[in-house]
Amino acid sequence: MTPRLKLALEIAAFAAFAFVLSILPRLISDFHTREVAIAGMYYIALLGLGILTGYSGQISLGHGAFMAIGGYATAILSVDHGMSPTWTIPLAGLIAGASGVLVGIPALRLAGIYLAIVTFGIAISVPQLLKKFEGFTGGTTGKYGEGLTSRPPFGLDTSSNHWLYYVTAGISLVLLAVAWAIVRQKPGRALQAIRDSEVAAASSGVSLPLYKTFAFAISAFYAGVAGALYAIANAYVNPDTFQVALSVYLVVGLAVGGLGSLAGLVVGAGLVYFLQFHADTVAGWLDKLPILDLDPKQPGIPSVVFGAVLIVVMLLLPTGAGGLLRRLLRPLTTRLYTRS
Amino acid sequence: MRRGLVICAVAAAVVAGAAGARPLATPGVSSNSIELGGSIPLSGEASAAGNVARGADYYFKYVNDHGGVLGRKISYKYLDDAYDPARAVQNTIRLVQQDQVFGMFNTLGTANNLAIRNFLNDNDVPQLFVAAGATTFGRDYKKYPWTIGYIPTYAEEGRIYGHYILASVKRPRIAVLYQNDEYGRDLLSGLQKGLGKKASTIAAKVGYDPTSSDVQGEVARLKASKANVFMVFAFGKFSLQAFNAVARLNWHPQIFVNDVSSASSLMAIVPQSAANGSISIVFGKDPAAPLWAKDKGVRLFQSILKKYGSGVSSRDLKDGYYVAGMASAFTMVDALKKAGKNLTRAGIVRAATHLNEKNNPFLLPSIVVKTSPTKRFPVTQVRLQRWKGKAWHPFGKLISAQPG
Repeated sequence: MTPRLKLALEIAAFAAFAFVLSILPRLISDFHTREVAIAGMYYIALLGLGILTGYSGQISLGHGAFMAIGGYATAILSVDHGMSPTWTIPLAGLIAGASGVLVGIPALRLAGIYLAIVTFGIAISVPQLLKKFEGFTGGTTGKYGEGLTSRPPFGLDTSSNHWLYYVTAGISLVLLAVAWAIVRQKPGRALQAIRDSEVAAASSGVSLPLYKTFAFAISAFYAGVAGALYAIANAYVNPDTFQVALSVYLVVGLAVGGLGSLAGLVVGAGLVYFLQFHADTVAGWLDKLPILDLDPKQPGIPSVVFGAVLIVVMLLLPTGAGGLLRRLLRPLTTRLYTRS
Repeated sequence: MRRGLVICAVAAAVVAGAAGARPLATPGVSSNSIELGGSIPLSGEASAAGNVARGADYYFKYVNDHGGVLGRKISYKYLDDAYDPARAVQNTIRLVQQDQVFGMFNTLGTANNLAIRNFLNDNDVPQLFVAAGATTFGRDYKKYPWTIGYIPTYAEEGRIYGHYILASVKRPRIAVLYQNDEYGRDLLSGLQKGLGKKASTIAAKVGYDPTSSDVQGEVARLKASKANVFMVFAFGKFSLQAFNAVARLNWHPQIFVNDVSSASSLMAIVPQSAANGSISIVFGKDPAAPLWAKDKGVRLFQSILKKYGSGVSSRDLKDGYYVAGMASAFTMVDALKKAGKNLTRAGIVRAATHLNEKNNPFLLPSIVVKTSPTKRFPVTQVRLQRWKGKAWHPFGKLISAQPG
């Protein structure tokens, strides 16, 4: 009885999430829907990273690079080849996923901190490579143009912010469902077994090369889709759009969201967005406190605030938002599970 | 039931009518205020340029304390983009849609301005006095009527060097080090245009990749061409390395260094044996140059900075980025005055394209900031300057940098 109840609860939570997403644009301003959409793109990337790091235990500090690959795939296909940007999104995901396989192969021999270093190297080198092949990528200027602007189809009369929101929310829901299906079934159990002990997993018949590469490919696919959406949102990509810091922010979002929790990542994504674009706003609030002198316009203040907020969040929530959620729901779930 | 429906319909019509009536007012303008927006690197590698926005902001505050513009006070809201075009886009949309600014002013960087140009022109929002040297911002006004540039273009800068070399160097043999992207190639093609038929005097040119770590090997190759003129069309650390390499190789060419790499603070730390005698262009007053030590404009800049800045150091008082920001803020105020009491977005663009400003205290004396609807390059006069005794010394007459 209990697994069924759990399933029912999760489906109900998913339906509630979908419902909230569908009515949200009615409740907030046009610009705020755009902000939620951008946070949604980080959420998609975090879902992928969650599968890789949260479930299979492989650390990647290079997911910004997969976002770059997805973003450039969309930009090049739509600006240079006239494709509709919206339809390039799945292709961008596949291209990023394929590069994820290429990274996943050496990852088989590396673990823990060593893998983190290799993936960090990828985060550093991809923006440089993008500058190098100018004819293909547009060099430092990047790719832009009318072709990269996504407009609502069938003459639908919605603002471009709302259109961006609905596309992102729709894709997020589909990819959340896919991620959820993966982690709660055989692949998810295999990945968790690998995370907990590779030797034990291998001796139980779990193919390490297959599952580890699979985890890399699927998470790179997610990052690629996120990057494609990001390119469409800004109608612009250049190497500075996918700075090394982006990869670090994603790991931060994952830690704040909580390892092994798909729902908690919503909080992680929100924080990544908020701290990047509103660190100055937070600094402005703190500046009003009499004991602090934090003029948000002074060099470095927003970055300091970003760091400080992060430390406080991790002190209060060492297991991330996902851990908090589990703790809050424990009385309810234990009662439900033990009733029958 | 029916009456309820009618009441609802009337209420809806009133709400819709009220909502529909609002766009008549110009966003960001009230009877006593004007809100401008900007996006600038305040963090990351390019954060030194953030002082451009701070300088402009302090100048607006100074103007506000002296009565503002036609009774309106200017507030300038600038957000950090870390030199990332995607963040510049997000900042711009936030400023336009949420904060309802009147227009965008003095956003920095070619890529960042390209990234926001479509959005601003789609929404009829002015993109004023772009702080970037790509020709497109002043040239392509037919497609982007809401955009106008500010500083001289890189292409014109290169052309001016070409002319000067022909006039002043006997039997020139030119070696060019250029950054191999749009910025460096603009300078190079300008140089070739300036040399005209004598373009063959370019004995060697080497483009370096903006991703490379070092250009000393490139400089050695250029020296081997036996050139007597060396063009440094580089950026940041690369021009530092180029000067270092010239000194180490014991090479003594006449060096030309492009404007963006010619900050006094940078020139002061390279080997002076190589730096001495170098030539560049100049259009803003450099507060580090001894010539302007007693100048009214530089004094004004320093008093404004001391009054409105926080934690001002002696280095800040010699920082040309602030002055650059104040120069374009001065032009902005000028345009706002010209646009008149009935301020609209179309009105400010009309004013910005009919400038004839002769008294900008932050630009070199006698520079006239002049624009027309088909000539959207506000600053098109420069002088040459020579580096000597750890300072720049302007020389010669004003030269036109108006794209043809």
